[in-house]
Amino acid sequence: MSPIVVYVLLLKAIATSFAGMGSLPQIQQDFVETRHALSVEQINQAVLVGRSTPGPIGAYVVSVGYLAAGWSGAIAAWLAMMTPALAAIPLVVLMQRWVHLPRVRAAVDAVVIASAILLLSSGIRMAADAWQQVAAGF
Amino acid sequence: MELLRRTFTANGLLDETGNAGLVAVSRLTPGTNILAYCVGLGWSLHRWPGALAALVASSLPASLIICALTAAIVRIDRYPAVRVILAVAVLAATLLVFSSAASLLRPYLRRPALMRASIVAIMSVAMLAADVTPVRILLLAAALGAAISGSARPSDPQ
Repeated sequence: MSPIVVYVLLLKAIATSFAGMGSLPQIQQDFVETRHALSVEQINQAVLVGRSTPGPIGAYVVSVGYLAAGWSGAIAAWLAMMTPALAAIPLVVLMQRWVHLPRVRAAVDAVVIASAILLLSSGIRMAADAWQQVAAGF
Repeated sequence: MELLRRTFTANGLLDETGNAGLVAVSRLTPGTNILAYCVGLGWSLHRWPGALAALVASSLPASLIICALTAAIVRIDRYPAVRVILAVAVLAATLLVFSSAASLLRPYLRRPALMRASIVAIMSVAMLAADVTPVRILLLAAALGAAISGSARPSDPQ
């Protein structure tokens, strides 16, 4: 898989999430179901690695990038993880102007709730796949 | 985030008001909250150089460790015993996923916001069941949220 594709796919997933693990559903969709670049097991391993290391929880995407395209994929994933954070700069300015508007806050709240639902669904999928592997191992 | 707040307030580089603003911005910024917090903090101290330095410092060390760990796991993954151990560890890791979802939902479980949150949640579950892609679900949720706004909303998510 091309590092540019890794960057674009991860950026899409990260830029539409509001928590470290919130990108997981879109990553599963793009890397596993649509492009078949990774298996569910590999995504689970990436989450496991991300959880086992200090630092941002969302850094598990670096492992996703590495598994999809080696070191260049890892670098692309690192860049994809950093890119949305730069949005904080204009947000610092815009927040004082727009964030008090009820419709804007309600839209952000709704996105956060939908993210949580998507995250629950990903967690259930992860647990089911891991459970199958544990059962097969015994 | 709490460690950063303590460190920078102790040094006189950040006050409580500034910290509250950065927390709000980090919640509203897509992606990983802590990275957005660090960028906002770096920006408020030294503009672009500060923001970029904070971003690299907060993401690069963990990313390097993750690459090394992933490379190691790829090498040992072919052994059946290792695969079972990894699967058990993944089962434990799913707790993190569930706890992330719970922490996102918690601020909306209070009474004034509960009805609106329930509507958005039910719509999200229905779209998931209908195989709608995550990005579309989030966009439709934003539209629905804006359409049904007007009732009381919770305080900022924690």
